[in-house]
Amino acid sequence: MTATGGEDRAIRRAVRRRSRLPTILGVAGLVIVGALVVTAVFAPWLAPYDPTERIARPFLFPSAEHPLGTNDVGHDLLSEIIFGSRVSLMVGLVAATVALLIGTTVGVIAGYYPKRLGSTLMRGVDVILILPFLPLLIVLAAYLGRSLLNTILVIGLLIWAEPARIIRSQVLSLRSREYVLAARSMGAPDRWTIIRHIVPRTALLATGSFVRAVSGAILLEAALSFLGLGDPIQKSWGSTLYWAQTRGAFLTPAWKWWVLPPGILIMLASLGFALIAFSLEERINPRL
Amino acid sequence: MQRVKRFKWAILLVVLALVVVGCGDDDAEEEPVATTAAEAPATTPAPEPADEEEEPATAPAEEEEEPAPETTTTTAAPPPPPEPVTVRAAITGDEGTLNPYTYISGFPGWNILMLQYDSLMQLDAAGVPQPWLASSVSVSDDLTEWSVTLVEGVTFHDGEPLTSDDVAFSVEFYTTNPEASRFARDFRGVADVVVHDDYSVTFVLESANPGFDVVALADAPIIPRHIWESVDIPSEHDFGGTNIGSGPYILTEIAPDQSYRFAANPNYFRGAPAVDELVLIIFADDAGAQAAIRTGEVDVIFERIPPEQIDLLDAQDPLDVILGPEFATQMINYDASIRPFDDVAVRQAINLAMDRQDIVDTVYLGAATVGSPGWIHPGHSVYNPGIAVDVYDPAAANALLDGAGYADSDGDGVREYDGQPMSFEIITNASDSLRLRIAELTVEMLAAIGIETEVLPVDTAVWENAVWPGFDVNNGRNYQIAMWGWSPPVQADPLRLPWLVHSSLDRGFLNLTGYGNAEMDELSEALAVEPDPAGRKAILGRMQEIIAEDLPFVLLLYPDGAYVYDSSVYADWEFIAGQGIVSKLSLLAPSARP
Amino acid sequence: MTRRIDLRRVAQYGVVVVVAVTLNFLLPRLMPGNPLALIAGVDVGMLTPDQRAEIVARVGLDAPMWQQYLRYWGDIFTGDFGFSFRSSRPIVDMILERLPWTLLITGLSLLVSAVVGVLLGAISAWRRGTKGDLSMLSGMISIESLPSFWLGMVLVSLFAVQWGLLPSFGAVTPASDLEGWAHVWDIISHAILPVTALSIVGTPGVYMTMRYSMLETLGEDYIRTARAKGAGERRVLFGHVARNTIAPVITVLAIRLGFAFGGTVIIETVFSYPGLGRLVFEAVAGRDYPVMQAAFLVFTAAILVANLAADLLYPLIDPRSRTS
Repeated sequence: MTATGGEDRAIRRAVRRRSRLPTILGVAGLVIVGALVVTAVFAPWLAPYDPTERIARPFLFPSAEHPLGTNDVGHDLLSEIIFGSRVSLMVGLVAATVALLIGTTVGVIAGYYPKRLGSTLMRGVDVILILPFLPLLIVLAAYLGRSLLNTILVIGLLIWAEPARIIRSQVLSLRSREYVLAARSMGAPDRWTIIRHIVPRTALLATGSFVRAVSGAILLEAALSFLGLGDPIQKSWGSTLYWAQTRGAFLTPAWKWWVLPPGILIMLASLGFALIAFSLEERINPRL
Repeated sequence: MQRVKRFKWAILLVVLALVVVGCGDDDAEEEPVATTAAEAPATTPAPEPADEEEEPATAPAEEEEEPAPETTTTTAAPPPPPEPVTVRAAITGDEGTLNPYTYISGFPGWNILMLQYDSLMQLDAAGVPQPWLASSVSVSDDLTEWSVTLVEGVTFHDGEPLTSDDVAFSVEFYTTNPEASRFARDFRGVADVVVHDDYSVTFVLESANPGFDVVALADAPIIPRHIWESVDIPSEHDFGGTNIGSGPYILTEIAPDQSYRFAANPNYFRGAPAVDELVLIIFADDAGAQAAIRTGEVDVIFERIPPEQIDLLDAQDPLDVILGPEFATQMINYDASIRPFDDVAVRQAINLAMDRQDIVDTVYLGAATVGSPGWIHPGHSVYNPGIAVDVYDPAAANALLDGAGYADSDGDGVREYDGQPMSFEIITNASDSLRLRIAELTVEMLAAIGIETEVLPVDTAVWENAVWPGFDVNNGRNYQIAMWGWSPPVQADPLRLPWLVHSSLDRGFLNLTGYGNAEMDELSEALAVEPDPAGRKAILGRMQEIIAEDLPFVLLLYPDGAYVYDSSVYADWEFIAGQGIVSKLSLLAPSARP
Repeated sequence: MTRRIDLRRVAQYGVVVVVAVTLNFLLPRLMPGNPLALIAGVDVGMLTPDQRAEIVARVGLDAPMWQQYLRYWGDIFTGDFGFSFRSSRPIVDMILERLPWTLLITGLSLLVSAVVGVLLGAISAWRRGTKGDLSMLSGMISIESLPSFWLGMVLVSLFAVQWGLLPSFGAVTPASDLEGWAHVWDIISHAILPVTALSIVGTPGVYMTMRYSMLETLGEDYIRTARAKGAGERRVLFGHVARNTIAPVITVLAIRLGFAFGGTVIIETVFSYPGLGRLVFEAVAGRDYPVMQAAFLVFTAAILVANLAADLLYPLIDPRSRTS
C-alpha cells in the first residue's frame, strides 16, 4: 500500500471512532438493562402496593397515593408496572435461553456436518421459518393452557431458527480453519473437535444472538398478550396493555398513564438488549 | 456490467411498485362489483349520505338525477321532502351473507337477519309477542293447535305476495334442512301445518306448548317458496343476488369484512321505515367501534358498550346512551355430579360467599343488575319476589362448611374434603375480559371461605369443550368450576328454564352442571302443559325457589344493556326489554311499532 | 457465467413443501375444540345427535384422517378449497377479496421501508463513526424495539381520535359511493396510518442489513485500494460499493415480500383493516379448518417462492459468490 502520512492519520482516526461507537451504544444498553433488572429484583420494596390487591376504586386518575392511577379493578398501576418488569424480563431471558440451546445445537451440528445431516437440519429450519406462526402458537397454547411457562416455551420454540442459521455459517467457516483441519487430520474424534475448537469460538457470536433473542422475545411476549394469547392474569407489561386495550384506555385520557408507560418500558427493555447485542456483534466481526 | 446490475435492481423496485399500485387499482374497481348483491328492486330513491364530509368535486354531475324523486303518490307530498336518513351502525365481526342459513351470531346476527325478513309475531317493547305478519293468533285450550290469520297484501321484496303457502313451506324447509338449528328447533314439535286458504293456517303440535308463540312464531323468518324450493344445500347455495324477504330492509351490498348496506323497503306493509338507508360497518374489535363513534364515523354501535365507556360517551355531544335491562347472565358453573359439588352445602356456601354487589360495582361500575340466586331477572314478569337477592354472608358460608364437616385440619387456610384440599381450577374463556375479572374476584371471595381456586384462562373453543363437550350434554363434563353465561333468549322466555335443570338430558339439554332434582323434573313437566299464564307463573315461582335453595349453578349478575348512538342523526331507538335496541322496531316510524 | 438452476436445491424445496403442507393439514386438527359450533350456528346445543352426524358428514369431517388428507392434496391441485364453516362462502373468494388489501398495505410499506432503509443504511455506513451514523443507528435500534400494536394504537389515538385528521378504521369509507379520484384518495387516506405503522417498524431491518452489508464491502481490499488511489467518493460509492452491497438487501426484501402475503394480524386488528391476517386469526379462533388450511397454504407458498427466488437470485446479483 502506498498510503501517504495524511491518509494514515485519517485511517487511525476512523479506527478509533469505529471502536468507540459500539462502546457508547453498549454502555447505554447496559445502563438500561441494569436499571430494569434492579427494578425487577427489588420490585417488592419499590412498589408502593401489592399489585394483585384491590386497594382503591377502579379507573382512578393519577394522584399522590397512586402516581399512575388504578386499573379496571382497582389495582395500583405503578405497582403493577414495577412488578411487570419481573415477568417481562424473565420471559425474555428464559425464552432466549431455550432458543439459544436449540439454535446452537442445530447450528453447530449443521455447520460441522454440512452434507447430508446439515442440509436436512437446515430444511427443518426452513420449515420452522415458513410455518404459520399464529396457529402454531395457538395449538401450543391450547394444549398447554395459558401460563407463563407456556408463553416462554412457545416463544423459545419459535425463535431458535435464526440463531441456528447464524451459528451454522460461523461453524462452516471455522471448519476450514487450519487448527480444525489439523485436529481432524490427526484423527481427533468429531465430538472432541467440536467441543474443543468449534463451540468456544462460537460463544461470542452465540452471546450476540442470545441478547438479540432476548430483545425479540420481550416484544413477542407483549404482542402475544395484546392478541389475548398470553396469560392475561400474569402481571406483565404486555398484559397491562391488554387490559388497557380491552377496557378502552386508548380512547380516554387514561392512555397517558395506562398505555404510555408500559409501552415505553417494553421499548426500553427491548432496546437495552438490542444495543448490547449490536455492540457485541460489532466486536465479533472484525471486518466491520 | 455494473450498469446492468443497477438496472436490474431498479426494475425490481419498479415491478414491485407496479404490483402494489395494480393491486390497489384492481380492488378499487372490482371490489364493489364483484360483491354487490343484485340491485334493489322497486323504486328506492337512491339516498345520498346526508353527512358526507368530503363531497367529491365530481358529485354535482350525478346529482342531476335527483330532481325527480318518485314520491308522486296520491297524497299531496309536503313541499320540502324530508332529508333521507342514513344510519351507520358498528358491528364487530362478519355476519356472512345474512340469510336464515348463513347469518353467524345469535346477537346481533339474528337481529340483523330479521330486518330483511318477518316472523308471524313480533316482540313489543315489553318483550311480549304481538301479531305481526299475522293479523291474529289464537290457540286451542289444550295448547296444541295454533291458528294464524295473515295480514293480506304483504309482498316479498320481489313483489310476490306472501301467503300461507309460504308459511307452510318455511316450516317444512326448516325442519327438513336442520343445519340452521335455530329454526329447525323452533318447529320441532309441529306435527302438521294445515293451510285453510291463502291467509289462514293452523299449526298442529304433537304436544302442548304454551310458549310456541315466543319460541317459534316470533322467532322464525318466513321465507318465499318461489326462491327456496329449488335450494339443495341452503348454507352454500348461491342465490345470485340479494336476500328476498318481506322485511323493512333490503340488503343491497356486501363488502366482506367491511360493511353491509341496506336500503329501506318502500313497500313495507307497516309503512316505509323511518331510516332510509342502514349501513353496517364491521370492526375488528370494540375499541375500533368506540373510536369511530367518537370521531363521528359511525352513528350507533349495535353491541353493548362496556361499562367504563357509558359515562364517557354519554358526556360527549351529540352522543347519547340508552340503558335497559338485559337477560344475559354471568354465572358460576360447577360439576354437581362429582365430589364435593354434589353436596348441596358446598354449593350453598359458594353462593353465600359471593359478594355480588362488589362484583357489579367493581367490574361493571354499577352497570349490571345483581343476580338472583333463583335465575330469573328481578325485572322479568315471572320473577318470584320472594327470592332474596342480596345473600352475601361469608360467616354463614363458613359455618355451613364447618357444619358439613369440611374442616381445615392442617391449618393451611384451605379446607379439605375426602382427605384432599378444596383446591380447584376455575376455567374461563380468555376472550371475555369482564368474565375474566369476575373470575379473579371469585378467587378472592372463595379464599375467604377456605376454598382455594386458580383461574385458568383458555381459548373459547377449549373452554366450551370442557364445559359442554361437543355441545352435547350426553358427553358429560370435563371441569370442576367454570365461569359461564347464557345469551338473553335463554332467559327471556322463561319456558326454557327446564332446559337448564331437567335431569333427563333429553329435556335438560342445557343442563351443563349434571344437576338433578325430582321435584324440579315434575314441575318442568307440569310447566309444559299448563294452559293458564297465572298457573305457569306459579310453577316458575316454585322452580326459582328450588334453584335458590339447591343451586344447580350460582347466578352472579345480569349485565345491563347500554347502547350509544348519535342523537343528531337518529334518536328513535326502541329498547326491547331484555333484548336491546337492535330490531326493526327501532327503525320503523313510532306509529308502526306494536 | 451461465449458471444452471441448482436442481438439488429445488428438490429440497419440494420436500419442504410437502412437510409444510402436511403440517398445515395437521395443525388445525390438532387444536382442541370443535368446529361444529361454527358450522351449525348459534344454537348448536339444541341439535339432535342425528342432525350433528349429518352436518359432520356433509363437511367431510367424518372421513378417516388419511382420506381428509388426500382430499386436501386434491384441493391444492384443483384450487377449490370448498366453503368456510363460519360464513358458508367459497374460500377462494374470501381469500381473493382480502389479498389485494393486504398486499396494498404490506407492499406499500415494504416499498417505503426499502427505499428509506437502503438510503439511510448507505449514508450511515459511508459516514460510519460520525455523529450522524450514531444518531441514525441508535434511532433505528430504538424504532425496532417499538411494539407494533402499541405504535398503531398511539397513531389511532392521535391522528384519528384526538385530531380527527385521518379515518380510524377500514380500507374505504363504507357505502360512500365515491368514484374516480375521490375513491382513490379515500383508499389512500385509509391506508396512510397502517402503512405508516408498518413502514416504521419495517425500516430498521432493511437499514441494518444495508449498513452491515455496505460496511463489509467497504472493508474489502479493492475498495480500500480504490479509495486510497484517490478515486472520487461518488465513483467509489456507486461504481464499486453499490453493486456489491445490494445482494443481501435484495434477499431480505424478497423474503419480506413473501411474508407480505400473510398480512399482519396485529396491524390489521388495530386498524380494522380487511386483510388476510384478520381472516386467519378469526378462522383460527373458530377452528374454521378449511379457511385455515387454504390460507396457510397461500402463506407457505408465497414464503417458499420468495425464499427460492432469493436463493436463485443471490448468485446472479452477488458478483463475489460467482467468482468463487
